[in-house]
Amino acid sequence: MSQISFTWSGFCAGFAAAAPFTVGVLPYGVAFGVLAGPAGLDPAAATAMSALVYSGSAQFVALQVWADPVPLAAVLFAAFAMNARYVLYGAMLRPHLAGLTPVRAYGSLFFLADANWALLVRDGQAGGADGAFLLGSGLAMYLAWTAGTLLGVVLGPVVAAPEKFGLDFLLIAFFVTILVGLWRGRRDVAPLVTAVAAALAVDWLTQSSWGVLAGGVLGSLVGAFRPR
Amino acid sequence: MSPDLVIAVAAMAVVTFVCRAAGYFAMGYVPLTPRVCAWLEAIPIATLGAVLAPALARGGLPEFAGFAVALIVMRLTGRDFLAAGLAVAVVALGRALV
Repeated sequence: MSQISFTWSGFCAGFAAAAPFTVGVLPYGVAFGVLAGPAGLDPAAATAMSALVYSGSAQFVALQVWADPVPLAAVLFAAFAMNARYVLYGAMLRPHLAGLTPVRAYGSLFFLADANWALLVRDGQAGGADGAFLLGSGLAMYLAWTAGTLLGVVLGPVVAAPEKFGLDFLLIAFFVTILVGLWRGRRDVAPLVTAVAAALAVDWLTQSSWGVLAGGVLGSLVGAFRPR
Repeated sequence: MSPDLVIAVAAMAVVTFVCRAAGYFAMGYVPLTPRVCAWLEAIPIATLGAVLAPALARGGLPEFAGFAVALIVMRLTGRDFLAAGLAVAVVALGRALV
């Protein structure tokens, strides 16, 4: 197990690296705060949800099924379904974070999201030696998400439309750039094709986000058994 | 905030955190053999493909143009946020026109 550091400079590097994403995260926080009221969440509940759950996709789906009384099973299933991909992200991060104290490791994992996972993937081989990077980058987006929610709750009827500015595409575009950066030629073809096919099939069959998990698991297993 | 809401929010928070922690926790009990390492290394490409494919399949012309711009600019320049920023601009423009 390699010795891993957990430093203030790693934290700051993560915070700075994630700063561009806050431009995309903040308007979605606002949108969630705006939509939460009509869905039946009072301001305190909406803000607490963003601060404690911190998962945009799960929270938006929860709003879809929210009612009085709260359909707990449906809400929890939504949370699990939308966040199941984090199980894979966490597994991948084991070698990266192993050696940290449990408090530091699990405390940082609370802030795990698509964007900072992607940043770690991008920097993983080269500059991934500082465990605090995950915490710093996650906290930057966490603050934007929670502050955005609070803003949306306060603004209320002022409608936010991040889609109009293409901001929902920022993370997707960044994922494309990471895929290009990771690409090592022919040996990546089989895992990618498997993942894409599985994701499209499951997405089409279930109309849910299980496709991500199915594609991630099947594609990576193909990668594990490819000839070296 | 009613007790009903408190329970729902707290339970959602627990489920989400378990998702974030479970993979890391479980891998503590799996020895990192070369085969396991190869699997972990293959997760990013597979997961990125699995995230991107349905998202792009659901999109229209603006999203496809944005995808193409991100791909091409990244290949040519290697600068990720330049590529992503231009792609976002193309998507915004495309949505305004279509």
